[in-house]
Amino acid sequence: MTPHKARACILRVGGTNCDAETKRACHKSGIEAEIVHSRELAKSQALLSYDFLIIPGGFSYGDYVRAGAIWAKELRAKLGKDLEKFVEDERPILGICNGFQVLIEAGLLPQIEGISVYPQAALGTNMPPGYNCRWIHLSHVGKGNCVFTKNVDANSVLKIPVAHSEGRFMFARRNEDKYIKKLLDEDQLVFRYCRRDGQYADGEYPFNPNGSFFDIAGICNSYGTVFGLMPHPERAYHRWQLPDWTETGLEPSYGDGKLIFDSVADYLEKRF
Amino acid sequence: MMYKARVEVGLRSGHSDPEGETTARSLIELGYCVKSVAVSKIYLIILEADSEEEAKTNLEDMCRRLLANPTKDHYTFQVETAK
Amino acid sequence: MTPAIRRQASLELHEIHLLDADHKQLRDISQSLSLGLDLKEMKAVREFFRNKGRNPTDVELQTIGQTWSEHCFHKTFKGRIIYGNDEIESLFKTYIFSATNEAKPKWCISVFEDNAGIIEFNEKYAIAAKVETHNHPSAIEPFGGAATGVGGAIRDILGVWANPIACTDVLGFGPLSHEHGKLPQGMKHPKYLLRGVVAGIGCYSNNMGIPTVNGSVFFDESYVGNIVVYCGCIGLLPKSKFARNAKPNDFIVLAGGKTGRDGIHGVTFASAELTEKSEEVSRPAVQIANPIEEEKLKRAILKVRDRKLGSGITDLGGGGLSSAVGEMARRFGCGAYLELEKVPLKQEGLAPWEIYISESQERMLLLVPRANLKEVIEIFESEDAEATAIGWLTDGSVLRISYEHHEVANLSIDFLFNPPETVRIAEWKAAALQEPNFHEPRDLATYTSKLLASSNIASRERIVRTYDHEVKGNTVIKPLHGKHGGPNDGAVIKPVEDCWKGIVISCGMKPRYGKVDPYWMAASSIDEAIRNNSAMGGRRIALLDNFVWGTPEKKDRVGSLVRACEACCEFSKAFETPYISGKDSLYNESPLGPVTPTLLITAIGIIPDIRRAVSVGLKSSGNPIYSVGKTYAELGGSEYYHLKGFLGKSIPKVRAPVAKDIMEAIVTAIDAGCVRACHDMSEGGLAVAAAEMAISSDHGVELWLHEVPRSSDANRNDYILFSETNSRFLVEIDRNSADEFESITRNVPRAVVGAVTDNDRLCVKGLNNKMVMDITVDEIRKAWKSGLDIEI
Repeated sequence: MTPHKARACILRVGGTNCDAETKRACHKSGIEAEIVHSRELAKSQALLSYDFLIIPGGFSYGDYVRAGAIWAKELRAKLGKDLEKFVEDERPILGICNGFQVLIEAGLLPQIEGISVYPQAALGTNMPPGYNCRWIHLSHVGKGNCVFTKNVDANSVLKIPVAHSEGRFMFARRNEDKYIKKLLDEDQLVFRYCRRDGQYADGEYPFNPNGSFFDIAGICNSYGTVFGLMPHPERAYHRWQLPDWTETGLEPSYGDGKLIFDSVADYLEKRF
Repeated sequence: MMYKARVEVGLRSGHSDPEGETTARSLIELGYCVKSVAVSKIYLIILEADSEEEAKTNLEDMCRRLLANPTKDHYTFQVETAK
Repeated sequence: MTPAIRRQASLELHEIHLLDADHKQLRDISQSLSLGLDLKEMKAVREFFRNKGRNPTDVELQTIGQTWSEHCFHKTFKGRIIYGNDEIESLFKTYIFSATNEAKPKWCISVFEDNAGIIEFNEKYAIAAKVETHNHPSAIEPFGGAATGVGGAIRDILGVWANPIACTDVLGFGPLSHEHGKLPQGMKHPKYLLRGVVAGIGCYSNNMGIPTVNGSVFFDESYVGNIVVYCGCIGLLPKSKFARNAKPNDFIVLAGGKTGRDGIHGVTFASAELTEKSEEVSRPAVQIANPIEEEKLKRAILKVRDRKLGSGITDLGGGGLSSAVGEMARRFGCGAYLELEKVPLKQEGLAPWEIYISESQERMLLLVPRANLKEVIEIFESEDAEATAIGWLTDGSVLRISYEHHEVANLSIDFLFNPPETVRIAEWKAAALQEPNFHEPRDLATYTSKLLASSNIASRERIVRTYDHEVKGNTVIKPLHGKHGGPNDGAVIKPVEDCWKGIVISCGMKPRYGKVDPYWMAASSIDEAIRNNSAMGGRRIALLDNFVWGTPEKKDRVGSLVRACEACCEFSKAFETPYISGKDSLYNESPLGPVTPTLLITAIGIIPDIRRAVSVGLKSSGNPIYSVGKTYAELGGSEYYHLKGFLGKSIPKVRAPVAKDIMEAIVTAIDAGCVRACHDMSEGGLAVAAAEMAISSDHGVELWLHEVPRSSDANRNDYILFSETNSRFLVEIDRNSADEFESITRNVPRAVVGAVTDNDRLCVKGLNNKMVMDITVDEIRKAWKSGLDIEI
């Protein structure tokens, strides 16, 4: 019997535009991945034949209404049951940038009490406003729960770029204390924006590039298998993609984004 | 019956509104005594329902499911019969 | 009123009384139908229909008007020019095409033939490149105008079956400090225009997921009334998938967005001056952008390409269907038959002529062999995009258009593409200018700081951050590089996964020099584009030329155009850098006057291994800094003179043989691994180049002006620091490779002129070996970063 090889599904709709480089990153980390149009998946109902679901970056449906909102509702409406089973099976789901916005709008994150019908968080218009493409530093604050950062040392600092105009993570004011406590208690807070030396950005621009509450850049569900982040790890996979490689040299030959793809590759290998 | 609805989705108070703040700054720069600007989105929706009551229920649902994110948005709507 | 009668038909179709029209009536017809044709052209049209023995329909007249417009046909560049006692047969043939044609390099696959220039990348892939202007639409509606400009450049790349992989944009605005009250009615403030244009560009390219990797912004008084918006796109295509083999009977398939009234007469609008009324009159000429639609279109087209289902492709840009269908038929030596009612419409009630010339965005025209139609339509459907067969190519060379079984046009393609020759008169007189006379200032540090903060030099970070320059994950040398986001000379991208080869993209534009002499302006733009490319390690460079000029009916405008073209020809040959694509935008005039002649040169080079690419930031203290190339007292048109309120006269020249040797030496040294950092000397000269290299790094720099290779008239510290002589580089060399570098560069002027230091200072020793400048890098970095006075 040939061992089951884990397969990733990289979903796309009109306006998705980071699918190719995300697939490239998966392949480099040994994950077999295919790009599938969301409509095709709705038609084939084949979500459960995959082991890993990725919602990549872009401007799904032009980001009309709110970034990620339309696609999120479509996924819930058309794949609802399978999506819930996918999560319950602890098969990993990764949302990058627009994908993170989709996961939030779909109620798949933060999952305060499981998957929610209405969003429990929001990724609002950047503060300061406007599209912002820059390399930022992330402090890894996860304690080991998130399967996407198993290979990332505790409290280490990662350098990965962001590029978005709606990335300001927020909770409803009245829930802020309660929810942040939950995220911390359940080890759901994974990445916070920080300075070069690892000190939290504390809301200060440009270290925190969008005004996110609590400097939140990436979170996972309590299983650690659904993970969303605004920065683009697929753009920081190779050393030559870094903005200072001409100063710091090409060794080691990889960037920090690789750790995320390698971590989930390890998880998939162990699990399947 | 056809109904015409005007749905307004805006930011809840308490959250900063970068779009509004930027617009306010810009208006002040042009010489107007502007205290603040809040930005909302208006959706004009024509929908079919058996009664105004049903139309309102549907609109409520539309707002909660798609048009607004309750974390940051509030919404209001008015309905009237469409000709 | 135009003498016209409505045809007896169930549709909006008029027949225009042309056969008996006198000169006045001919002019009136052209004007009232917005044809933009002059009397000579109208007479040719009348002659054509007299021979046919019937009057034209509105569809036919509009088709001719669109096809013969300056925007579509480039009649000034193709026409005859009388220049003193000389006659130039065609600027394009004589100066631009000849430069390429003479060399005929093997790596040029398609030049001035298709929608974009195509050159070789490696055995498998080719690079496509195109730059367009979108000045008039952006002046009226900056967001939509710029966004659709980007969309158009991208479609040109799709129009050669290539995958768009990078965008460039070069912009020109009036000074941001321009007084609001001084603007004529209907003209918008530079700040408003800049914000709108930048937002439009970002919206389109970000939404499509194409990184905007290179560009520049130039501020000039003449741009207050005539903004300049260049949009460029680079694409990649597998050579084996390039299909251009359409035959009669192949379907003409219209794909993408629906057709509406937006953008009617865009090309006639682009071929006229802007007036106070432009805003209200031209609103319908501005198109509405929908990048998501184009993203879907792109996916479908690339699928059609990969399955080899198409036989030809072009984009719908200026002139809409009228221009695209005619071009395609002509390209394949065919006629065409169209059924206009098949065109999917945005709204009811469009007249056939409106359908035929509408410039609605996000549309492409494909030619598809009959057997493949079904599969092609299915591909578009799978991407939620629309594609409709609206006709087919025919034998012969007649364009026939029907609308609900009525023939609405029947025109010979030969006639359509042979308008009467345009004759322009050119005249050139050198401006009476003087070199200013002033003493060398003592506070050179203050001048350096002020230059770094001046609008044409200050950091573009606020603009660049709003463009996604990282999407696709292939950007190797970025617009903002290193820890401090320093400026690079251009961009390097790595387009193919398992291949270290890269594409090097740079540009050159020197509008201010054109106020003194367009010849040296053009030469300098070429030199700048090439040296920016060389500074990163680019070679085998191809050029794109994009002219933005005034009204060609005015002699002096054509005169300066001729001078610029002469230089384009001469220096393309001298550098052995062929043109592969180009475009001209004329009629850039407003009530405030003409645009200053502006030539953008875009350079596309390659680098065999991107790991050898060089950035501007200083790397290691103790390394020597070389100045390569000789410095002359060439301060005319410089930023230094401008700061002091002068224009001057002594603009930089290009000394071709040595210039080429210098570029080659730099690239050889980069390949040899000697070069740690490299920056070209440009606006602000040596001082600004050194400052920018330090700003980008954590190092300082020390310079010794007495060591700089220079001419005898470069005899003052300020001249050496701020001269903008072309073909010069400031280079940090690995201290262990200095001998090798000297050997490589032995035949060109160069010398060690300083060193990288580990303190945070820019120190300059003058001609007398005494310190003439000592300023902290932190201070100049702040000046440079905060210079551009606008919040985006």
